[in-house]
Amino acid sequence: MIGSGKSGARSGLSSRVRRRVYRYIGIDGGAGATLLADLAGRNPYLQEVPVPRHADLLLIVEPISQKLVPAVITVARAIPYPVRVLIVGGTDTTSFTDVPLANLDALFPEAQRVSAFSCEQILQTVFDAHEWLDIHPPALSELEETIIQLPTARELATEPAVLSLGPLQAFTSGPLRLFLVCDGEQVLSTQVETGYASRGINHMLVQADWQQGLRLARQFDPLTPIAGQLVYVDALEHLQGWQPSIHVYRCRALALALERVQNTFWWLVRFARLLADSVLTQHSYQLARDLAALCSQLWQRPPEEWILPHHSAPGVRESKNTLAQLQRVLRSTAALQRYVERKRGLALRSRGIGILTVAQLKRSGIGQGPVYNASEHGRGDVQSRLVIRARDAVRDLQFAYDGIAELAAQPELDTDIQAVSWDIPIGETRTEVVGPRGTIELHLYHRERKEPDGPTQVVWKRPSVPLLMLLPELLAGQKLADAEVILASLDIAMVEVDG
Amino acid sequence: MSVFITPLFVVCVLLVGTYFIAVIEQLLRLGLRSIGIALTLPLANAIRLLYQEDLTPRGADFFLFRSAPFIALAVVSLVALVIPLGPTLIAFNPSIGLFYFIVLLSPFVVAITNAAWSQNSKEGLFATFRAAAYLISYEVPIGFAAIGPVMATQSLSTQRIVEVQAGLWFVVWQPLGLAIYLIAALFVSFRHPFDSALAGSELEGGAFAEYSGGRLLLFKIALAALFLLLMAMGVVLFFGGWQGPVLPGPLWFALKTFALSALVLWLAHFFPRLRHDQMLTLSWKILLPASLLNITLVGILTLTIPVGR
Repeated sequence: MIGSGKSGARSGLSSRVRRRVYRYIGIDGGAGATLLADLAGRNPYLQEVPVPRHADLLLIVEPISQKLVPAVITVARAIPYPVRVLIVGGTDTTSFTDVPLANLDALFPEAQRVSAFSCEQILQTVFDAHEWLDIHPPALSELEETIIQLPTARELATEPAVLSLGPLQAFTSGPLRLFLVCDGEQVLSTQVETGYASRGINHMLVQADWQQGLRLARQFDPLTPIAGQLVYVDALEHLQGWQPSIHVYRCRALALALERVQNTFWWLVRFARLLADSVLTQHSYQLARDLAALCSQLWQRPPEEWILPHHSAPGVRESKNTLAQLQRVLRSTAALQRYVERKRGLALRSRGIGILTVAQLKRSGIGQGPVYNASEHGRGDVQSRLVIRARDAVRDLQFAYDGIAELAAQPELDTDIQAVSWDIPIGETRTEVVGPRGTIELHLYHRERKEPDGPTQVVWKRPSVPLLMLLPELLAGQKLADAEVILASLDIAMVEVDG
Repeated sequence: MSVFITPLFVVCVLLVGTYFIAVIEQLLRLGLRSIGIALTLPLANAIRLLYQEDLTPRGADFFLFRSAPFIALAVVSLVALVIPLGPTLIAFNPSIGLFYFIVLLSPFVVAITNAAWSQNSKEGLFATFRAAAYLISYEVPIGFAAIGPVMATQSLSTQRIVEVQAGLWFVVWQPLGLAIYLIAALFVSFRHPFDSALAGSELEGGAFAEYSGGRLLLFKIALAALFLLLMAMGVVLFFGGWQGPVLPGPLWFALKTFALSALVLWLAHFFPRLRHDQMLTLSWKILLPASLLNITLVGILTLTIPVGR
């Protein structure tokens, strides 16, 4: 027995040495920020690297817009041979015309593909793929040059340098390009280039019928599918004149609160990795994974199902166990809040930079959300944004804990499931929900009946947009190393901005 | 014969040492339960890099770009010569061993600046400036921190410094010197949290952004070896080098070096990456005055309590 044990250990060790290590560079089209943040901590044999030269695997998270394609090709061409490409996901946009998305299968015909946004599937595909085909990236057509306005002559001026950050970077969720005009290590001015995450969501929603729209609304910001779907559901219910039951209303609020917390945790993971703060990274990563596991088994039916109009409220699975787990997450989150409030090392990199005043925010039309709250109740710098979001997470978790305890105490929930028959009258409505980045507002217009019947116009008010507009003003005069930290602290979702 | 055997021995010791530094790093990252992964991952990473294409970017300075990793490796190999592993186990034992060690650290930054500048990219240029600024900033405190043991020993010979600590390690009465030395050592070896010239994400990987394959592996080995050597010199200066009961000298030396390395890496992981100006502030406004204070204190103590003389 002992002999066989030793032999087993030996074979395990040698197989580990022989096992391939993959170093990947991830390209996020806008939907993959959470997935990539999760994947980076999953398996030590699959390592994330910051530059394509150090990588041998290109991981592309769809959807990828046409505008992002040159950047994708440039990255693929910069990877030393042997190059492997793995494409993750894919949105069902085949039934809609004029969608500005790239066909990656045509671009990289030899690539492997994973259809689900799942770390387990990605790991399985990467390590179990017997035959990776070497990719020969296509040639890049002539790129249009971007003209950057340099500052005019200044006294004792050194020659300014233009540094391009992005579009493939980890500071926002989704691709964004910044041209930083720097005088040495100081940023003089910033030019923002957007449109890399455009999927034409509004166009698709107008083409879709009501039922398809409910599914598409989840794609408004793929990181907050419940908030996107809920604001659309609210609009439809308002137009139709339906009133959800109090149970449904409560469950929706709970699901939304938990989604906000999940977003905060994954944002913290990305932010901590940017600062290379391993304590904060480990803490927030563990919390994010614990909460994700909890949410996946919390409801008896998945939220995307019961959140829809005319659906009954779900029950909570194993409520006692769930409550105990939630209590643990709540306690750990309170500890995390204390850490971000008190840790001096973290304060060294986050205090006093990227200050936004309430007046500045109000001038830009921002009157709510974590960034506004940080300016109203704190110094308005990066550290106060961290603290406010951690506090919000504790508050939301407490709300979820109380709500679930109340739900669990009720023996029976309403079960009046009825088939939805759409008959939306002509009209318009405005609804809003509080997402992780602020209030998402939806104006839905139904001015005429059409085939298939659906909205005639959809207008979103997105919390990330005014924050992005503030960037040039905010980054001017900051240090180069702080620019990305400030940008990351705003938690801008580019799919939300680009639509 | 020793002309061939000594360098071979030094390189072998360095390679084994860097492997264990990589293992310690993985253990700190993954936890003690993942010892199997920690032992194999550095080897798997090295093999992967050896199989990867070695690219030279368009417009790069061909000679500087390709030679930089070899300069780095040559520097650490030369620096390693004066580290006494045992009572008689030292490759080169000049009377100015410590001076030789500190002076020869400087060309390592030349390798880094060559690597960064020769890439023909703006990010590389920024990394060059940062590395050059660090060169000037760390040399003064690390030199001053090393003066303490020299004052106590009245010798620059590394072997003599170890011998004098037979009764009492210098760390006992020079803790400030040790703290300054260790912080400056992290600076020198571009280790976290002082790695903004190499790992600052705003510079997309900094000095090594364009390296791939074997040359990237050489750089990684050189960086780990540099850290190992600085920790080894820390053991020589403050922890009595190879001295210790029962076990043979080289084993004591290895144990102390890896324990100190693990401690420093563990402490470093509690801090986020510092901004370059914060690093320079730390060096000039805190480490430099502190090192001058340390010299004064050591001077007074040496005069009043003649340790080892």
